[in-house]
Amino acid sequence: MNFLKRAWLSLTAKKGRSVLLILVTSAIMLFVLAGMLIHSAADTATTNAKKSVGATLTLSANRETAFKKMKKSSSSKPKLTTTPIKLSDAKKIASLKNVASYNVTATTSVNAKSFDAISTSTGSAGPGGQSSSSGDIAVTGVTNTSQVSSFEDETNKITKGRGLTSADKNTNNTVIESELAKQDNISVGDTIKVKSTSGSKTYSLKVVGIYKTSSSSTIQQGPGATDPANTIYTSYTFANTVKGSKYANTADSVTFNVSAPSKVSSVKKAGNQVINNSKYTLATNDSSYQTVKSAMNNVKSFADKIVWLVAIAGTIILALIVILMIRERRHEIGVLLSLGESRWKIIGQFFAEMVIVLIVAIGIAGIGGKSVGDRLGDQLVSQQSASSAATISAPGDKSVQMSGKPGGPSGSGSAVQGGGGPSSAGTSGASSQQTDLNVNVSVLNMVELGGFGLAIMFLSTMIASGGILRLQPKKVLID
Amino acid sequence: MLKTKDLSYWYDQKKNSLFENVNLEFEAGQSYAIVGQSGSGKTTFLSLIAGLDKPKAGSIELDGKDINKIGLTNYRKKDVSIVFQSYNLFTYMSPLNNLLTAMSVTESRHAGDKEYAQQMLAKLGLTDSQMKTNVQQLSGGQQQRVAIARTMVCDANLVVADEPTGNLDEDNTTEVIDLFQQIAHEQGKCVIIVTHESAVAQACDNAYRLEKHEFSAV
Ligand SMILES: Nc1ncnc2c1ncn2[C@@H]1O[C@H](COP(=O)(O)OP(=O)(O)OP(=O)(O)O)[C@@H](O)[C@H]1O
Ligand SMILES: [Mg+2]
Repeated sequence: MNFLKRAWLSLTAKKGRSVLLILVTSAIMLFVLAGMLIHSAADTATTNAKKSVGATLTLSANRETAFKKMKKSSSSKPKLTTTPIKLSDAKKIASLKNVASYNVTATTSVNAKSFDAISTSTGSAGPGGQSSSSGDIAVTGVTNTSQVSSFEDETNKITKGRGLTSADKNTNNTVIESELAKQDNISVGDTIKVKSTSGSKTYSLKVVGIYKTSSSSTIQQGPGATDPANTIYTSYTFANTVKGSKYANTADSVTFNVSAPSKVSSVKKAGNQVINNSKYTLATNDSSYQTVKSAMNNVKSFADKIVWLVAIAGTIILALIVILMIRERRHEIGVLLSLGESRWKIIGQFFAEMVIVLIVAIGIAGIGGKSVGDRLGDQLVSQQSASSAATISAPGDKSVQMSGKPGGPSGSGSAVQGGGGPSSAGTSGASSQQTDLNVNVSVLNMVELGGFGLAIMFLSTMIASGGILRLQPKKVLID
Repeated sequence: MLKTKDLSYWYDQKKNSLFENVNLEFEAGQSYAIVGQSGSGKTTFLSLIAGLDKPKAGSIELDGKDINKIGLTNYRKKDVSIVFQSYNLFTYMSPLNNLLTAMSVTESRHAGDKEYAQQMLAKLGLTDSQMKTNVQQLSGGQQQRVAIARTMVCDANLVVADEPTGNLDEDNTTEVIDLFQQIAHEQGKCVIIVTHESAVAQACDNAYRLEKHEFSAV
């Protein structure tokens, strides 16, 4: 215990040196902690992303086989034809264990009749003129609006009236966007009229709810692009009615909610056994999770590099400081040796001094670590979002272009893949999660930091202690 | 109590030995002065006795036991106490903490006894406030008295000193000589002092001269 008291006396007597040591150590600890905080924040962001998107499966037409068929066809004008999903097939999956609920999505488009669609300057009436087969109103037919990903992630919010539920099946109830409602002076309870894109039929829809979308991006791109406010939600049965009688009891996609994220893969396996795999694909709906995950993995690997670089540099710096300190204190070491103190206890005293410095430094780092971590994390994430947005947009566009539907009023509405496919909704969800990198100092972080600091101090003291082990007291004391 | 047996030492080559086959005996309760010309090897001899270096040939025995067998670290801790010309105190401590540290490092039977340390410092003329200020604020004579007090509070029965009065004026020198005599006669320890001052040599009970590689009684 004696060497501990000496350590304390030495630190308190040489205040300038102690303050300097504390400053250097604090700086090192601050960066190590910031790196660790960013790492764990990235972990949390990944886990949250997994939680929020991990528990769904989407059943859709198998485009790959449809694509092959199209290539084989000898027709002069090959057409991509995918079979719509038969609801009876979807129900087979719905009845599997651990499937909590499911949401049917059927999309189409119509033209506004009793009101005007919102036209944006970059909007629908492009230079090529509007294709006759696409309407200005996108119809997203669903079972339940609350289970649509854009409502789940709160891109869309019901502001008046109510959303659609399974009770709205076989009704002409609809939920429209607030901008559209405002422009055309439509309120809940009103009836609006739309006509089919071929112009032959008129439908009356009863507005039961109004939602507000925060999606600024035009959901659909390419020809027939229309303002997001022109999307109306109806029951899937209505969408099927518009599409034509042969679409009764079908869907463009069906999203299954699995009771727990951990059950998703087993449900997927079981589901694939009850459906025809050449017609359908059953996919986990984790594109936004994958986006977050890869972005966060980059953030994490950078954070780890910070931790290791600072740790290595810190060990070298501290070792040099301790080496200099030991040179400066040769005399004191000599006196201790002449009194018969063991060399290891002298090294122990130096180590103890460094540990005391470390404790103070960790306290300082703990106070400052959050703000440094916040700043550094924001910097990293903004770089990450920029690069991941670029990589994500490419496959996103492709999926939009490929989502043509057989005949009928396809083109425009198709991209609104109710269940939240890898569309822009997924991307925006992912990037909002990225900016929310939540840097927090936990007890575990501090314990980890302490362990790291101890290792750094131990290594640097050991590197420097060679000088103590070689020191000849005679040379130091008698001159 | 301390015996050198055919003790020899050289730095580079054997033919340049500082001293050869030295056989001396030092008794407890006696003080010894070692004199000789500058460069004759007095300090070197003392460092061997103090366990700070190892002989090139021969051995040193404490109460019949080779100090190499005791282990030099252990020997320095338990058996020998050193006073240097340049005091060699812990510069970041007060006189009191210097004593307490030495007592606990050497595991003295008075270890931890603050009052005993204070009494000793008071006996050597330090005031209460001087005991508690940093040692570097004391005069050379006061610092050397702290160094001597350090040997007095430790249990080691052998006290060696290299030019302990080298930095002191006449008055302080006389006081320091008195203190060493007290250590020998009142504490019953064996005191060996290297000095070039004849006053110091004369005050000691015995004196040896190191000349032409040999020790001779004066
Ligand atoms: N570490 C060393 N390496 C080589 N030679 C040394 C070393 N230390 C001392 N010497 C030489 O050994 C000789 C004896 O030195 P020492 O210090 O023992 O003399 P001394 O009798 O104490 O002299 P002084 O009265 O000046 O203190 C000197 O010639 C000195 O140059
Ligand atoms: Mg000398």
